[in-house]
Amino acid sequence: MSGKGRIVGGLGSSHAPSIAVALNTGKDQTAQWKPLFDGYQPMIRWLEEKKPDVIVLIANDHANTFFFDKYPCFALGVAPVHEIADEGWGRWPFEPVPGHPEFAWQLAHSLVDDEFDIAVCQEMPLDHGFLTPLACTFPPERRWQVPVVPIVVNVLQPPIPSARRCFKLGQAIRRAVEAYPKDLRVAMFGTGGLSHQLSGERYGFNNNEWDHQFLQLVETDPERIARMTHQELMEMGGADGVEIIMWMVMRGALSNVVACKHRNYYHPMVTGFAQMILEEPNDGLGRLAQAAE
Amino acid sequence: MSKSDPEFPPPGTPGAPEILDLRSRQIDYSRPLPGTYLTTGVRAARGYRFSKFCMSLMDLNKREALKADPEEFMAEAGLSDYERQLVRDRDWNGMLRYGTSTFMVLKLSNALGVGQNRTGAAMRGQTYEEFMATRNVKEAS
Repeated sequence: MSGKGRIVGGLGSSHAPSIAVALNTGKDQTAQWKPLFDGYQPMIRWLEEKKPDVIVLIANDHANTFFFDKYPCFALGVAPVHEIADEGWGRWPFEPVPGHPEFAWQLAHSLVDDEFDIAVCQEMPLDHGFLTPLACTFPPERRWQVPVVPIVVNVLQPPIPSARRCFKLGQAIRRAVEAYPKDLRVAMFGTGGLSHQLSGERYGFNNNEWDHQFLQLVETDPERIARMTHQELMEMGGADGVEIIMWMVMRGALSNVVACKHRNYYHPMVTGFAQMILEEPNDGLGRLAQAAE
Repeated sequence: MSKSDPEFPPPGTPGAPEILDLRSRQIDYSRPLPGTYLTTGVRAARGYRFSKFCMSLMDLNKREALKADPEEFMAEAGLSDYERQLVRDRDWNGMLRYGTSTFMVLKLSNALGVGQNRTGAAMRGQTYEEFMATRNVKEAS
């Protein structure tokens, strides 16, 4: 029998330029930052154990990769290597990130066949949205051991896709993975959030209670979040807290029932930082095992 | 702030053009979020020239030109009087209301030497120190 793609689990993590600065200036073990960076240790171990062949990494651009002359709702990076974006103060000191063109093209074909008309990109430099979660889960000695297929979601300029649409994109990604004709272990990685707002008199808004509720719901009842409008998400988590729709892409690709292996939350300054591991049953063969019974 | 752009007077004022302000079904416009300036496609389009100006500051040479002679730089970029005044006043919230994306405002404030949390404090109408006093952990911005 030929091989088959499978999803072994999903990771979730906030992203922020300040995390990259802390990492690159050796502040990760200071009292201010340690509670955040400690939260990545279980994720580092999980990736070592699960040995995914590819990571589907979902983040938003912060007008460093794209500009409003052309702004895709969803974009997919199919290149063999993803360059590092210049965010206006020089490139982050990270090596370019390896891609996985073969699987990325499988995603492109399958998603468009599945009515997700995603923009397919050969040149899509990655900004801190992708790089901070990645650099935290692949410390220097392991960087970058797993190829990455990046997906950009527009959360900057309306019209922005709904939480429901993002959840459905995740479901379509699962169908693409399961239709892949080779053995391939796929880890999903959703980034962004949690509560924060970077504009207006409400700058600095946070909602720790909602952040914890979100983490619970994304594990046990993502349908509840899929039903929420941007209005509701912004009321709860601030205007930029709407970024959690990118966790919904990750969650949509997973089984209904998953095991939460790790959850961490830390809110030092303007963003509620969170990390999470959701593991698929039976090493990603849960559904097949059930079918065989 | 009561000033308005003569090219784009607020809807409803005499002489204001009819704008079909197409909106998202994801937002409940009858329940505006306090202290938040959500843009719509139409408003973002209005702010496009200004956004492009902010985006040009990704280039170090442009940032230095802005620093050296802001008036000359803004004139060359073709900004309207209203847009130039927004920059002179460091009127971050005015820029947001005008239809400028948050991340464009932050690129501009960064180029003008105002850090993100200082920009945010000004948006809140606070000093930097007042704003920092509201945070859980300092120096982890």
